[in-house]
Amino acid sequence: MDVVSSVVSRGGIRLRDVTWRPIGRRLPVIAGLDLEVEPGERVLLVGPSGAGKSTILHGLAGALGTTVAGDLGGSIDVGGQLGLLLQNPADAVVAERIGRDVAFGPENAAMPRDQIWRRVDECLEAVGLAYGRDHFTAALSGGEQQRLALAGVLAMRPDVLLLDEPTSMLDAATATSVREAILAAAGDRTLVVVEHRIEPWLPHVDRVVVLGAGGVVVSDGTVEAFLAGARPPGVWMPDLPTPAPLDVPVGLVRPEAEPFAVTATEVSVELVMRTLRGTQRSQALTGLTAGLVPARVTGFTGPSGAGKSTALAVLGGLLKPAGGTVTPELRRRRSVDLASVVGWVPQNPEHGFLTTTVLAEVELTAARVGRTVDAAAVLEVFGLERYGASNPYRLSGGEQRRLALAAALAHRPPVVLLDEPTVGQDPATWAAVAGWIASSRAAGATVGMSTHDADLALDVDHRMRAGALA
Amino acid sequence: MRTAVLRVNPLAQLSVGLFSLLGSFWIDSLPVALAALGAYVLVAAVLLPGWRYPLVCLAFTSIAALTIVYSTWRLGGRDLEIAVTAGLRIVVLAWPGSVMAGYVDPSRLADYLAQTLRLPARLIAALAAALQRFTGFGLAWQQLERARRVRGFGAGRHPVANGRHAANMSFALLVHAMRGATSASIAMDARGFATARGRTWALAAPWARGDVVAIGVAVALGAVPVIARLAS
Repeated sequence: MDVVSSVVSRGGIRLRDVTWRPIGRRLPVIAGLDLEVEPGERVLLVGPSGAGKSTILHGLAGALGTTVAGDLGGSIDVGGQLGLLLQNPADAVVAERIGRDVAFGPENAAMPRDQIWRRVDECLEAVGLAYGRDHFTAALSGGEQQRLALAGVLAMRPDVLLLDEPTSMLDAATATSVREAILAAAGDRTLVVVEHRIEPWLPHVDRVVVLGAGGVVVSDGTVEAFLAGARPPGVWMPDLPTPAPLDVPVGLVRPEAEPFAVTATEVSVELVMRTLRGTQRSQALTGLTAGLVPARVTGFTGPSGAGKSTALAVLGGLLKPAGGTVTPELRRRRSVDLASVVGWVPQNPEHGFLTTTVLAEVELTAARVGRTVDAAAVLEVFGLERYGASNPYRLSGGEQRRLALAAALAHRPPVVLLDEPTVGQDPATWAAVAGWIASSRAAGATVGMSTHDADLALDVDHRMRAGALA
Repeated sequence: MRTAVLRVNPLAQLSVGLFSLLGSFWIDSLPVALAALGAYVLVAAVLLPGWRYPLVCLAFTSIAALTIVYSTWRLGGRDLEIAVTAGLRIVVLAWPGSVMAGYVDPSRLADYLAQTLRLPARLIAALAAALQRFTGFGLAWQQLERARRVRGFGAGRHPVANGRHAANMSFALLVHAMRGATSASIAMDARGFATARGRTWALAAPWARGDVVAIGVAVALGAVPVIARLAS
């Protein structure tokens, strides 16, 4: 697609009266959007959770109405080659080894073999991946995978770079290094960034476009005008104080059984990724001693790959440790007995969905363990009351995470475990998630979570590094 | 020696399965079946890098074979020898190919399918990307299992309930795979896949002496039942 469109010049973007209604939704997500971006401009796209930010990037990438089913109206034009970086870099991996993965774009562009490898080496160097072409893609950490995805995008020599929350899954230090790699590589290309935590991007963009519900442009102007203008709802302004946690009614979170402490002593876990062509072992936990106590929020923090999620899973009886002990040994419980005392919110919300409607999802576990739940009230806390009859898979990323939390915890377990609960939330929905956690604590529940969100209040902070407490 | 099977090219690897399939049609009696299977077991024991994976494959093909043995015995005059022969034929047909498929690197297979066999480039590139995604399924399965267990819908002790659980899990994994495929195809199309014409390949598809030897071994193994039958 190296042909410059006749309506926009190379590096330009033009959306005219764009309307998009995904299949299964009654109302359009985007209704009559007009937007123009000049070649070389750097635009930050902000707005509340579910405002259609990612959808616009998918539209620019040509996926609406083709790969993603639904009705698309209006016209979308992009001048020249585009490059798209997704929130989850694992989705972009196409090959077993990193050199071959970066080569995918140049192969599609029918580039001769010797030039492909020169381009591959150049792009791997540009993003700071020094492993060499034959390193396994599956052996990369989250931050490294995002760098690999960036190298794959740069290999296309894109005129327009589209970034869909490229650092939201990363801890602060890794996010900074990935962002620097992106900005260094972007040069004078057109850049469109979608991100919830906008502050680090503001010094590097020319223009901020604020979207409201329904994909309408609320404001559009320079960074200075944006900072000086009216506070748009649902946007993390740089000087915004940490939102006050929502006051969640205690009846929704009061534990149905006596909360208890969970302690891990000298626990080690080895994760093995085995293929017949090679085995990659990694020590996820090495002699971790840590505990959770009732009426306290215990956080596991630290860089990506430090073993935060694994620590939670071991404590919750979801994973068998290779060595050490966990008391009580929740792992030995039958599924229903475990469910009655533990609630666990998975990092990827889609892994936690078991039913076909949002309402059924919230009621499911409560019914299984013989408790009643006010599902309507729970959905209202998380701003999901409109979607009771929707399929969980049709929600936006931020909405799915809130639903996964509601589904995992609505049955009021005494031990509450959350894996990165605040990723992809705007201030209002962040307050709902933080409010649920605070109310659970106040009601006496034992709360444990893994997080890289520095704004969440923790009573105990277990900082981890390389599988143990730092 | 034991890593040679990892170094030969994917077409040579898969030719073992092709010739075992062709050879299996010549199996018509128990001695022929035993000779053919014995040859594969012997070569596997000497040449494969590990024994665990081939045994797992053997276990799975044996399940299929046992159903054939039973139905042949039941419907084919209750002759145990004929039934066992039919079962062993299935093992010879499927087992070598299923083992070799595990050693194939998807990207290299794509190189050879497109450049040696001249199959359509876009189809093959999509196939390679799809095969690559299998690596992540084990991890996804684990996460789905955890989420189900902690919500009260984990595997229990009852065999019927466990069958249903496995079916539900498989469906959930299928949904996960399809959702991932949507993101993956958006990312691939943005990297020029949607508009690729006259695609090139970053690596050549050369044939070394070892590859030819491997095909020779594959043909020889496939010929065992033919020779055994002609000799008997």
